[in-house]
Amino acid sequence: MPSGGSSSAAAVWAILRKECRSEWRTRYGLNAALLFAVTTLTSVSFAAGRLSDRTDLLGALLWVVLLFAALSSLSHAFVREVEGHTLTLLRLVASPTTIALGKLLFNLVFLAVIEAVTVPLYLALMGAPPPRWGPFLALLGLGSLALAAAATLIGAVISQTRGRGALFAGVSLPLMLPVLAATVSGTRAQWSGGPIAAEARLLAAYTTALLAVSLLLYDHLWED
Amino acid sequence: MGRLLVFLWIAAWMVAAFVWAPLVPVLGETTRVLYFHIPAAWVTVVALGWSMLHSILYLRTRNLEHDHHAAAAAEIGILFCVVATVSGSLWAKAMWGSYWNWDPRETSIFFLLLVYAAYLALRSAIEQEERRARLSAIYSALAFVSVPFLMFVVPRIYFSLHPDPIINPRGKLDMDPRIRIVFFAMLVGFTGLYAWLQSLRVRVARLEHRLDQA
Repeated sequence: MPSGGSSSAAAVWAILRKECRSEWRTRYGLNAALLFAVTTLTSVSFAAGRLSDRTDLLGALLWVVLLFAALSSLSHAFVREVEGHTLTLLRLVASPTTIALGKLLFNLVFLAVIEAVTVPLYLALMGAPPPRWGPFLALLGLGSLALAAAATLIGAVISQTRGRGALFAGVSLPLMLPVLAATVSGTRAQWSGGPIAAEARLLAAYTTALLAVSLLLYDHLWED
Repeated sequence: MGRLLVFLWIAAWMVAAFVWAPLVPVLGETTRVLYFHIPAAWVTVVALGWSMLHSILYLRTRNLEHDHHAAAAAEIGILFCVVATVSGSLWAKAMWGSYWNWDPRETSIFFLLLVYAAYLALRSAIEQEERRARLSAIYSALAFVSVPFLMFVVPRIYFSLHPDPIINPRGKLDMDPRIRIVFFAMLVGFTGLYAWLQSLRVRVARLEHRLDQA
């Protein structure tokens, strides 16, 4: 691992690999998140039944399920470090920006795994008509990137508070609401055959703004 | 002295709102919500801006005085936000027939309420003063990113619920000059009220800080 405060691509990659490896060792975070996502999915599906002809509801409920999965699990990357008392060591070998970027990529991978399980299951359980895959996957990707960007910085902040995980959902919700609004309207349009360019642009712009501000703020994350 | 002036000013224009300013035809008696609801919403936005500004200043200077300002503005902001939300909701019941309908305006004010609440919840979860100041400033700066986006996205989605003719009869374009005078006077009064509350809250925070140090 490179020493000092370098935030080169190699260092970020090293952090990502370290994250994946330590997650794979216990899979505690992943298991909990998957279980939670499937639980949410089950309750939504059980409560609403099959909604084959209501694509407006299908888009909304899909993103509610994904948002809940993200809210329940994405603080894990930082909380784990604090609980395992490994953060100090991590900070010795990498700059705050490097750590945060590595965790951001990890959160993205994490979300992708959750979605790979949840989304097909959702489409099957709810009896959804087949989506237009191009726009659908584009929205999933952009939405996940935006969720991960918001969750990384908030997760780092929340891990330093008293309640740790407990506050995460409430505090990150205001940042995730624009994502929810845009992805829901895009997914709906995708099913009804409309264009999704406006929503995709919005998501891209929002993610860019979040990332730009995050990059300015990462340096302030730890001081004591 | 200042607070007496604010009190008299608001009281005087409140009377004027009832006896001097005319009513707008469509709005009828509900016209007068204009003099309370919009100034309260205005103060909410001013307070949020003030809080964000001082959060960023804190990150740059690490002067706790900025943190006092940011926290005070958020606390007063949430108070005015509740006033604006409740008065708007009552007005919506009278005009639109329901208290809550996710009209874009309702959404954006509700969203501000969420941001403030999360900010204060975050603050209450951190004990050490510098850390609290730093982390809540980070949150505040990041949360500000989402404000313009939400105001822009939401109208696209909930538009269908509120066709223009229902939203429009605010009659803002051909506002009677007397209504305009009372309205702007109330805006000035509310801003003065906010400035007074803010200075009061900052002084309390300063004293609390000194007590902690002792």
